[in-house]
Amino acid sequence: MHEYSVASELIHALLPQAESLGGKIVGVFLKKGELRILSNHAMVNAFELLAEGTVLEGAQLEIELIPVTVSCASCGYKGEADHVEDEAFHFSVPILSCPTCGAEVDLITGRELVVDRLSVQTSEDSETS
Amino acid sequence: MHNVSVNGEDILKRQLELAETNRRLLEEKQVMAVSVMGAIGSGKTSLIERMIDQLIAKGYRVGTIAADSAGDDDHRRFLSRGVSSLNLNTQDDCHLDAHTVDHAMSHLPMDELDILFIENVGNLICPADFPLGTAVEIVVVSTTEGDDMVRKHPKIFAQTDILVLNKVDLADAVGVDPQRVVDDYARINPHGKAFLTNARHDTGIDALLEALNLPCTNTR
Repeated sequence: MHEYSVASELIHALLPQAESLGGKIVGVFLKKGELRILSNHAMVNAFELLAEGTVLEGAQLEIELIPVTVSCASCGYKGEADHVEDEAFHFSVPILSCPTCGAEVDLITGRELVVDRLSVQTSEDSETS
Repeated sequence: MHNVSVNGEDILKRQLELAETNRRLLEEKQVMAVSVMGAIGSGKTSLIERMIDQLIAKGYRVGTIAADSAGDDDHRRFLSRGVSSLNLNTQDDCHLDAHTVDHAMSHLPMDELDILFIENVGNLICPADFPLGTAVEIVVVSTTEGDDMVRKHPKIFAQTDILVLNKVDLADAVGVDPQRVVDDYARINPHGKAFLTNARHDTGIDALLEALNLPCTNTR
């Protein structure tokens, strides 16, 4: 349960740019690596609460999951990792091993937590709509 | 309405950078740091105590960082084994982070250490998201927690180097098959190494220490 501290880092990182945009921020699009152990539901709640009183108040936090991709030094494979998928797990878990030759791999994506874009409503938008 | 792209920096970049700073400091000081994570009551402290005893007997200089939400019980246990230790109370935080570890290391005699054990707060979820900059990550579970621990917390096991299943002497008494835990771990983490231990009676500690690839005592 560290979503509040992560949401706080997120808002802290976004505020300087958000304040300079001069419009209403209606959406924040976050990319979350598959290996990150963050609950989307708790992140959205924390974001809503912590954004109150800032220019991000009322903005919708949308979270997109980025799959684990790996690169293998042994056989040159680059791409998505295999997963253990089992009903007993209730969700799938990426395997940090080469899907082609089984060697150890380097992670390309899967641990990031990056804001991709903001959706902004300006006075021009309301005039044209 | 229009979309504005953002500079694309990782929100947790500061944490990753701090972990990298810790890694560099540890390398510079030639200290091998071992992060020990695991559930409450799995035997993390006992396991570290047994490793300390064996390492001291082999001539290593050992330090510990003992993290708990409150209290200094683990810290005092480590001190009684004759190591340099620092107590860290995380209060309401459910995990250690690289910044806290950096702060803790500044209070330890890093020039006089070979091995540093960092015992995280008892928790199988949050610590996995916060790298500390250590050379090795161990997750400890015990038979008394049941043989489904790996399946219930797959993400932490998928990305840590070593699994320790402690209290193997109690497996029969609690109706747990240790092999089931080992098999689950192998399925999720094909390159991870699993060890069965009974920390109270020193079983399996030798094999675990060997897997840590400790620096040779004669090169120090």
